[in-house]
Amino acid sequence: MSILPSANLLRNPEDRRSFIEKCAKVSFGLSVLPFFTRIAEAAESTGAAKAPNAGLPGFGKAKRVIFLQLNGGMSHIDTFDPKAGASKGPGSIISAKGDMQLTSYLPETAKISDKITVIRSMTAKVGVHASAAYLMRTGFEQRGTVQHPTIGAWAQHFLGASHKTLPSSVTVNRSSNHGNGWFPAAYSPLPILNPSDGLLDTKSPVSADTMTKRSGLLAELDAGFGGKAGDENVKSYNEFYESTFQLMKSTDLKAFDLAAEPAETKARYGKSKFGQGCLLARRLVENGVRFVEVAIGGWDMHATLDDRMEDVGGDFDRVYATLIQDLDAKGLLDSTLVVVATEFGRKPSFEGGGRGHHPLVFSSVLAGGGVKRGFVFGASDEKGYAPKESGVSPGSLHATIAHAAGLPVQTDIITPAGRPMQVGNKAAPQTGVFA
Amino acid sequence: MRPFVLFACLCTGLVALAAPKKEGKKPAEPVIKVVAPAAAPVAPIGERAAIWHEWTDKEGRKIDAQFCGLSGDFITLQTRDGRTYHFKADILIPEDVEFARGCLDRSRKNSFSPAIIASAAADIDRLVGVVLTANKQALNAPATDEQFLRRIYLDAAGRVPTAKEAATFLASNAPDKRAKLIDDLVFSPSYSMQMFNWMADLLRVKDTFAKGVPAFSFEDWLKTRIAANAPWDKLVSEMITADGRLCDNGATGFMLFDAEMPLDGVSNLMTTFLGTNMACAQCHDHPLAEWKQRDFYQMAAFFGATDGKDEAIGSAIKKAVRADASLPKAAALKVEQMNTFRMEDADKQKLTFPKDYKYKDAKAGDPVTPALIAWSKGDKSLPVYNVSTKNPAQLRDEFARWLTSPQNPRFATNIANRVWKKAFGLGVIEPVNDIDDLAEASSPELMAHLTFVMKAAKFDLREVQRVIYNSKTYQSSASATPDLGKGKYLFNGPLVRRLSAEQVWDSLVVTAVGTYADNVLLRRGDDLKAMALPAGKVTLAEVKNAVDRTKKAFAGGGKAAGGSKKSAGGSSLGLANGYEGDKPVSRFSLMLARASELPQPSPETHFLRLWGQGDRLLADSATNDGSVPQVLQMMNGSVGKLVADVRSAAVMDAMKENTPEAQVTSLYLSYLSRKPTNKELISATKSLQGGLALTDLGWVLANTREFLFVQ
Repeated sequence: MSILPSANLLRNPEDRRSFIEKCAKVSFGLSVLPFFTRIAEAAESTGAAKAPNAGLPGFGKAKRVIFLQLNGGMSHIDTFDPKAGASKGPGSIISAKGDMQLTSYLPETAKISDKITVIRSMTAKVGVHASAAYLMRTGFEQRGTVQHPTIGAWAQHFLGASHKTLPSSVTVNRSSNHGNGWFPAAYSPLPILNPSDGLLDTKSPVSADTMTKRSGLLAELDAGFGGKAGDENVKSYNEFYESTFQLMKSTDLKAFDLAAEPAETKARYGKSKFGQGCLLARRLVENGVRFVEVAIGGWDMHATLDDRMEDVGGDFDRVYATLIQDLDAKGLLDSTLVVVATEFGRKPSFEGGGRGHHPLVFSSVLAGGGVKRGFVFGASDEKGYAPKESGVSPGSLHATIAHAAGLPVQTDIITPAGRPMQVGNKAAPQTGVFA
Repeated sequence: MRPFVLFACLCTGLVALAAPKKEGKKPAEPVIKVVAPAAAPVAPIGERAAIWHEWTDKEGRKIDAQFCGLSGDFITLQTRDGRTYHFKADILIPEDVEFARGCLDRSRKNSFSPAIIASAAADIDRLVGVVLTANKQALNAPATDEQFLRRIYLDAAGRVPTAKEAATFLASNAPDKRAKLIDDLVFSPSYSMQMFNWMADLLRVKDTFAKGVPAFSFEDWLKTRIAANAPWDKLVSEMITADGRLCDNGATGFMLFDAEMPLDGVSNLMTTFLGTNMACAQCHDHPLAEWKQRDFYQMAAFFGATDGKDEAIGSAIKKAVRADASLPKAAALKVEQMNTFRMEDADKQKLTFPKDYKYKDAKAGDPVTPALIAWSKGDKSLPVYNVSTKNPAQLRDEFARWLTSPQNPRFATNIANRVWKKAFGLGVIEPVNDIDDLAEASSPELMAHLTFVMKAAKFDLREVQRVIYNSKTYQSSASATPDLGKGKYLFNGPLVRRLSAEQVWDSLVVTAVGTYADNVLLRRGDDLKAMALPAGKVTLAEVKNAVDRTKKAFAGGGKAAGGSKKSAGGSSLGLANGYEGDKPVSRFSLMLARASELPQPSPETHFLRLWGQGDRLLADSATNDGSVPQVLQMMNGSVGKLVADVRSAAVMDAMKENTPEAQVTSLYLSYLSRKPTNKELISATKSLQGGLALTDLGWVLANTREFLFVQ
């Protein structure tokens, strides 16, 4: 059983108290449970189905989420929200499938844009990289006193673990950085820093016989301290060791192995870290991982924007289009939500060959998981300076993703510090993006 | 509540300290104590006066340098240009070795006397005891020698003891052996290394700032200041008021980190040095605390004349570089950035209220008048609040004076609370980065006492730690992780906790190569001087020269080359060139230097990061969370191979023993700082006969939970 109760249980003061106590126990340093916990039970049994948003369009369609993080701040005007006039960038405006316009930096995406929904009215106030990236990753503004969880950790809280041996959340090309927030450390995503290496050190360098003898002796000698551990943190390390032994025996490890992909598929995704990362993400969600973040840097284009859009933007374009097409061909797109997120947009004006940070309006892209195909949601003004209609905050984007994933939004849970919190920070989901 | 008086001998006359008011709780019994030993020390506590000396080696070569430390066979000196030298002392003439010993004795003599340490420690025990008794609890049983040994090594030296060090301590019958070990450790080079790790997490020490400008000079500066035991108030003041370029003045590193985001910089330093979280008030009135957005801007205005980036120089260099296409791009960029970033004060305070300012207490766009925040009503009448805001160029200095004064309402408490957490695993007030409400302390009296000790020690963190380590509270057996949901932890003893990433790594390093690693020092700042342009007009010729120098310095031969991406993994020749004295041993692609003597922070794939070394983007970013990949690396990865290697110092020490029992005991001392129980001895020796080698036993002990935790 998960140690965390579902949302509706928390309305009972008795349960609230015990929840806080349990959280306090596990949140201090380490948690009790590593990622091999129970498999997700039916949503009905955990109360997620009684979520206030359960009856709204798109609820629970996304069984998996791939969250792409374009670090540095993707220029909306030079990608998904092209402008004519003074704001126009070096790229030209092209007509794309799904009755929308993109820039000439995204020719491949233009061929699959009939499968995606572009949100052109993202809006925020934070223009500093680290804090803005934090806001886009969690839906909350960064605070000194609390770490907020990612959607992956929220989902594990409400829905349980997504697989019996694989982790429920993975980060690719980035560290996990407190992705569990106030939830147990067991909800922290597993970081894969180099996708082609996969999960490192899964094989013992010594013979099976020696390993058996070593682990036997380890169990004996650690019986004193580890065995009778009255400390929660020691107990969790016992479980991390237990889990590791299990994992090393498991065939599920193949999910991390890109070598198992056909050469043709590997070639389509390309050799870049982003390409490899997206291929790994697809393999992982296919095999039962629920939430995968893939990070890619290089978007902080203060200078030489033209060159870097060709370079960084070009790689993104090819890989993103491949990922969407591949998921769709495998019949996975309708149940897999792919999110393109970036910390902010870039200024309408040019300064020294590039554009400055601009959080006031920017773009995000959703695809799959019940989202409309070939759709533009919201709009920025003529210059690309501010939202013209339907402003979407990062919190609201998170509420939208959570809604698609079948989580109760606008429903309090209580953190170990006793503060009420909601996935998406109280914002409502944008149900208009769902089919 | 009546005032209580504490070991007043330290100060002129008696110092009365009013305990802060507690609300809603039964007040603890007031504690009254006056200690006045016959011979109160008058020597200043805090940084020792610098000892300059002309040193002569056996070949008659001379060097004028400051004494920085002597440990084992090694002496550390620093010349007037800031270069650190670290070498075996026996190359010096015997008179100078003797002189160095004298210096060491002098610095030890200047510290708190045993009587004062005992008295201040007893006050801690009494204050903890009062709260425990009032809550019908008691101190844990005293820690055994074995528990104490391992804990004090980890806390004061940052690593476990070697088998020999452990055996020596355990065999000693001296009644004062604990106090003596504490003193030996806090005066050892390992002390400086662990203090650096601790401060690096707090001060966000990184190899690069902005877009990859190397910041090694900041690291070197901090290491030098720690080695000289610079008091905290001085250290902080030096960082806040530092002027110039990083390559000329390493102390600028702290402020330059936020040069491009000065408002964030102010938020950060408030949290780091005062434990006050104003980040919310940066954008709006704080929803939960008292801070208004106006308060934040008024504080930030003290930095409103400060500028971290000289755009004019930057574009002049860019222009010069553009004029010569043959200049190597990477080196040219380094030269540009190193000369562009610098701390300087203009004669005008430029901060204005933001365009979207929405409160009635000020107008959007208006210039901000600098003003200091206060935590309680009386604060503003303190003499230290009397700052001059007339001269904009002096604002930063005025701020530093207020910030680091003993009269500042939070400065001493913040660092005292953090030092306490370092020893006990939990602050008296939690979280340590939000101590606005002192009544939140698990014991306000204890917090007040620690603050007092901090001030009495004149912010000498070594002295404060000596006091804490000598307390019975610290020397009690550890408590399991408390359930904070049920109430505050009242310090029945330190907490059981997982070793920090640096402690695990440094312990593994010492089991692999022994105490050799304690004398391997990384200093990479010197090469940054190659990037400096001479003052005055930027000419193409000067830029060209600087770029040439930089290219050479970074081309593999230079020390700073270790900062390049390729070599950041800690195994390249480039990094090796940055070491003073001995070079680190490298095994299984691991460079076996202490964590403080590796890239800051280590690259994401390194053992240190996997085990929770922070990314240093925010203060206090280190964690001790667990993960499956950690265990995989410990069992199967390069570290798993390292502990099972025949070259391992722990294994070699064990092999020197003649019987299997003595060999097992030696490995137990190396990894767990204790002797095995009979049962363990039987299990281990049996498995040695059953096909496992001592190297396997090394692997097994490194993989026990007991190795990962400090009790």
